[in-house]
Amino acid sequence: MKLAWRNLSNDRMRFVVTIVGIAFATFLMIFQGSLFTGFVRASSKVIDASGAELWVVPRGISCVEFGSPLPQRFRELALGVPGVASVRRLAAGYVSYQKPSGQRESVFLLGADPGNGKLPVPLLSAESGAVLTETLLVDESNADKLEVATLPLAVEVNRQRANVGGIINGFGSFLGAPYVFTGYRDAVRYVGLGTEETMFLMIQVAPGGDVETVRQALSARLPQADVVTRSEFAFRSQFFWVVKTGAGGALLTAGLLGFVVGLVIVSQNIYATTMENLEEFATLKAIGAPANFVRGVVLQQALISGAAGALIGLLATFPLVQLTLRFISWIYTPWWLPAGMIVVSLLMCALASVVSIRKVIAIEPGRVFRA
Amino acid sequence: MLNTAELKTSRTTGPLVELVKKSFTGRLQSPVAQAAMLEVQNVSVEYGAGRAMAYALEDVSVAFRPGKLTLLMGPSGSGKTTLLSVLGCLVTPNRGSVRVLGNDIAGWSESAKTELRREKIGYVFQAFRLFRALTAMENILLAMELSGRTGRQAREAAEAALLAVGLENKGHLLPKEMSGGEKQRVAIARALINDPPIILADEPTASLDSKSGNQVAELLLGLAEKQNRLVVVVSHDNRWLPLCHRKVVLQNGCLIGDDMTRNTTGKLGRVSRLSV
Ligand SMILES: Nc1ncnc2c1ncn2[C@@H]1O[C@H](COP(=O)(O)OP(=O)(O)O)[C@@H](O)[C@H]1O
Ligand SMILES: [Mg+2]
Repeated sequence: MKLAWRNLSNDRMRFVVTIVGIAFATFLMIFQGSLFTGFVRASSKVIDASGAELWVVPRGISCVEFGSPLPQRFRELALGVPGVASVRRLAAGYVSYQKPSGQRESVFLLGADPGNGKLPVPLLSAESGAVLTETLLVDESNADKLEVATLPLAVEVNRQRANVGGIINGFGSFLGAPYVFTGYRDAVRYVGLGTEETMFLMIQVAPGGDVETVRQALSARLPQADVVTRSEFAFRSQFFWVVKTGAGGALLTAGLLGFVVGLVIVSQNIYATTMENLEEFATLKAIGAPANFVRGVVLQQALISGAAGALIGLLATFPLVQLTLRFISWIYTPWWLPAGMIVVSLLMCALASVVSIRKVIAIEPGRVFRA
Repeated sequence: MLNTAELKTSRTTGPLVELVKKSFTGRLQSPVAQAAMLEVQNVSVEYGAGRAMAYALEDVSVAFRPGKLTLLMGPSGSGKTTLLSVLGCLVTPNRGSVRVLGNDIAGWSESAKTELRREKIGYVFQAFRLFRALTAMENILLAMELSGRTGRQAREAAEAALLAVGLENKGHLLPKEMSGGEKQRVAIARALINDPPIILADEPTASLDSKSGNQVAELLLGLAEKQNRLVVVVSHDNRWLPLCHRKVVLQNGCLIGDDMTRNTTGKLGRVSRLSV
């Protein structure tokens, strides 16, 4: 242990470079991972927040953001299916939002029936469940953009009167266009759906009911629509945004590149650190150090560098992610991401040292007599 | 000369030591075998292959006894370092046999040879080869740690070793803070710390000024004369000639000379006065 420590601390510059390299690599992996994870999570946020076990979705529609109308009578048909406890409707679409300054902004407006999910609905009070009319809820991350300085704030949506009545959080948009929530009836009106039209149905299965049985019954009753579980629809939406759009593709690529670049930086540094001491390892072997002793020193050097670098990288990540949240509200670092990346960093260090150990073990001890 | 009593008190254990003990007790009955502690027979070392193949050593046979300092001489490229590496079990010859303490090491596993090097052979290099991140004291302690000796007793032994090479106040210095002569004396202390019967030194004074060179030379001579160790020194420095007991000369990988230069008692009063 001592030799490993001393080898590292003896050449401070080299050690600092190694640690900074590994710290940067760890940071890169966690940060890119957070962007990607955040994007994936945001791309199914509305679906996940619905709390509904099943969704009735227009045929072939992959996400809430690109919906199309369903016949209104589907709601009554769904309600008639055994095991269905409740059906909530969701209408959504892009609308033009006129700010107090007169500027217009394209926003994505969503209006759902109130219910037990976490989808924001403007209510008079939580107990009454009465929906406020012509009322908009804006995410705090978009408040500045939408010029919401005071509440309530009179604005226009598609040239119709509306009031921003509340600020919510956790619904920062990854689309560019902010999410704005309102009541179902107002959404239908603002978005311009026909009187016989709705868009998505969110189904609550009766307590004790079997979700799959209900899904099949709904499918049979509504053959013109897709009936999917919440997680199926969430995955569909994530897949659409990540794989089929340029934005998600770029993030995925950047995430993978960040991961690969991180791995390369880590292993390069560890390899270089070992090679720096190659002559000394030859001496160790010559004076009779068992192969495992030499391996131990190399591995310790790698893991000390790896642990120090990963820790610093981790400590740098949190404030930077916090800072980024101001600009990219949907960036998200699940607990397993830093934990996983640190494990990956350390594994990479161990792997790089195993590769360099092979080189160390292969050195002929006889070289020690050559100057 | 090692005796059975010394072997019984040996700190080390392990299959090799058992082997050496057995063969040693066996060998004690034979005065002829007892004489050669380290020997090579018909050893050849080749470098390269095919047309580019060249001999670094060609059919060399030579045996060494304890209590003697042997000087290995020869022009540059004559195979001195190669021979020393073969003697030190650091290089396996292409042909011929190497016997250390009566054992033919052909077919020994790497780990057995490693243990042999650790416990029975001390190495002194032209370039010192101290661990640059460790102090003089720690360099010696590391060699002890390899033999499983740690703690306070190890420290005391390391302090005694530094005292023996005249560096009792320099234990805390890093190699870069020491002169060449001091570094080489630390290296000798390190080579001796596990009490090996065999000491091999390649150009130990070539990087030193003449004063430190003399100190190192006297130290090595003392190891042979006073402590009855087997010492082989490679050098093409003629200043060694009056010190050595025997001179072995190599040329083009062949042994071309082997002379007893003086007897063990030595005429060099100056040298024997030194306490090592
Ligand atoms: N690793 C090696 N590869 C190829 N040739 C070598 C190698 N080591 C030594 N030799 C050759 O073997 C011969 C003996 O070298 P060496 O034992 O170092 O001589 P000396 O120590 O007497 O100067 C030289 O001709 C040298 O070029
Ligand atoms: Mg040489």
